[in-house]
Amino acid sequence: MGNPLLSFWYRLFGQNDRPSGRLRRPIPMASAVQASATIFLILRRMRVPLVVLITIFAVSVLGLTLIPGRTPEGLPYRMSFFDAFYFMSYTASTIGFGELPYAFTDAQRLWVTATIYLTVIGWAYAIGSLLALVQDRGFRQALALQHFTRKVSRLREPFLLIVGYGRTGELLGRSFDALGRRFVVIDVESERIDALDLDAYHADVPGLVADARDPGHLGVAGLGNSHCEAVLALTNDDEANLAVTMTAALLRPDLPVIARTVSPVIAERMHAFGTPTVVNPFDRFGDHLRIALRAPATYQLITWLESGPGAELPPRGSPPADGRWVVCGYGRFGRELIEDLQAEGLDVTVVDPLADAADGTAEDPAVVCGHGFETAVLEQAGVAEAVGYVAGTDNDTSNLSLIASARRVNPSLFVAARQNRPSSGPLFAVMDVNALLVPTEVVAHEVFAQLSTPLLWRFLQEVPGRGDSWAAELVDSMTELYGRHLEALWKVRLDHVEAPALTGWLATGEARLGDLLRDPDVREERLHVVVLMILRDDECLLTPDDDVVLAPGDELLLTGRPAARRALETTMVVDAAREYVVTGRHVPASWIWARLLPAGERREG
Amino acid sequence: MNLEKVVFGFFVLLAATLNFGFFIGDIADPALHNVYELFAAVVVSLIATVLKFGDRTQIGAVHLATSLVADLQLIAAAIAWTYAAHISTEGLTPAAMAAVVSLSGGALFANVVSVVLLVVETVSYHRR
Repeated sequence: MGNPLLSFWYRLFGQNDRPSGRLRRPIPMASAVQASATIFLILRRMRVPLVVLITIFAVSVLGLTLIPGRTPEGLPYRMSFFDAFYFMSYTASTIGFGELPYAFTDAQRLWVTATIYLTVIGWAYAIGSLLALVQDRGFRQALALQHFTRKVSRLREPFLLIVGYGRTGELLGRSFDALGRRFVVIDVESERIDALDLDAYHADVPGLVADARDPGHLGVAGLGNSHCEAVLALTNDDEANLAVTMTAALLRPDLPVIARTVSPVIAERMHAFGTPTVVNPFDRFGDHLRIALRAPATYQLITWLESGPGAELPPRGSPPADGRWVVCGYGRFGRELIEDLQAEGLDVTVVDPLADAADGTAEDPAVVCGHGFETAVLEQAGVAEAVGYVAGTDNDTSNLSLIASARRVNPSLFVAARQNRPSSGPLFAVMDVNALLVPTEVVAHEVFAQLSTPLLWRFLQEVPGRGDSWAAELVDSMTELYGRHLEALWKVRLDHVEAPALTGWLATGEARLGDLLRDPDVREERLHVVVLMILRDDECLLTPDDDVVLAPGDELLLTGRPAARRALETTMVVDAAREYVVTGRHVPASWIWARLLPAGERREG
Repeated sequence: MNLEKVVFGFFVLLAATLNFGFFIGDIADPALHNVYELFAAVVVSLIATVLKFGDRTQIGAVHLATSLVADLQLIAAAIAWTYAAHISTEGLTPAAMAAVVSLSGGALFANVVSVVLLVVETVSYHRR
């Protein structure tokens, strides 16, 4: 572990259950074979040009040695092979030193004239073929594949396999890179892989232009590598995501898989293979909106923590608790959202141009046929009396105009909107939408929360059950600690590996959290950290107070500034610091000084 | 009949025969070793090497290796001859000629291996 980043990472989220040793199933690496096949093909295609070149050279040289020449003294003379080869070499390569060793006779000149044209053709043919092959698409792809394969197989750190480097992949890549985690990218579009080089990542990110539906490509990208930690299927093609989930589940059942989909059917099919985590942005947005309606502070806390370190505290919304909602667009998103809204006990009116054709719409929600910009439709849907409004079509332009026309009728509406393209972001920002769904970001945040630290995900699962005022208090104490920008979240495990200095103290049964969180420099001061959760034997204790007694093996999820983190680590590792923090006594840290002290003052750790 | 195999076999065998023709005779006598034959052996050996490019089979790889060895030996022999005939003040002495011919003898050995491989390949093909 020479890499400080790496050891840092291990200490952060070190897990002992890394897959090691031999893998159970052979992972196909078919594409690597394809690559070498291409190179053999190239060599094969160079045969004819090379044979032509050698023949032309041989004939020219032989001719020169056979044709009689004359020395300046008029004696008969024949060029040796050496002279002839030398002459042909500089003539063929168009350097042309002149007629050596003696001026040529007319017979020699005749032959040389012929050979000059011959060799020029030979060279042009050979070099032309070589350049054409180097330009060859297949050849370049083969080279890129080999380069990629080599890079991936040399990875000696845990890495994530990201399939699909769209907006979601990019956001995740940046977050994980900031955490010092490595990842490998596959995408079908070469522009996106080119963009990898332009993104300024700390670590080298191997990228391959390939179709991930081919298990061989996944194999090359490190599916079979024992350092692969997880597979993320994030393409915008549900079918491809399903194929990736399937491949990973069948070939590496031990790997966690996170897949994105917007279709419940595909989600079902994914669940048929192992236990992948399926993220449906529409579904998640509906869940979030429900939380936001019921508990604004909880929603604020969840979105803040999911956004990753550095994120600014999102504003706390004040959505209407009851009243009628108007949902424009009854597609996949509309359906998911209406289900969630109805589950909250809210009345929903649906507006869709295909309302009559859409099956199931006529059942319970009030349905209005139309786009939603028309005055008549707005009136019919009762936008003026509604409290909430959702612009959920798959077209950003219509969503924006839907919001504008609805606001004109009823300015106090709580507006939720769906943003489909990242380029529309600034427009939605100006519109000041109350709840904005950006599917790519929802997926990115979700995946980040799950993979960055497993404890955070557990914490987020528990948060909605704790009520709004609890969440508001937690947000207040976090902002009091370090302001409105989220600092790092990290996990510590109180065992003999991560906290060797605490072992004895924890065993006494009097180890209180408040003592552990004292500053090892001035014990009267408390470290500037917030303990979000203690996990003990699969039971979680959220925001524990200082009197909680710690036990060996407890896992703590903390947030705070880096300085506080270092201080806590000192307490956990250095015996003297722990002694001072717990009892207030200064004990020698070095071995010699400890020996020199009277035995009575020594204390067994 | 595969024309590619004919051409391939022709060049492999021709490289061996030319090499043998140059090699045969008293090792130190320049009169018994024709320099044109050495030239032909080098050229044919190079062509045979190029023809072996891009064969993915195991036997193809060994073919290429033996051919490269023959090339190396023959080019070394040609350089030794050039040195003796053009650069050295003593000219083509029996010692220099012996060096040239023994180098080509090494190439002959590699060429014989090539021919053996060719025969092995042909025979195993017929058995299938």
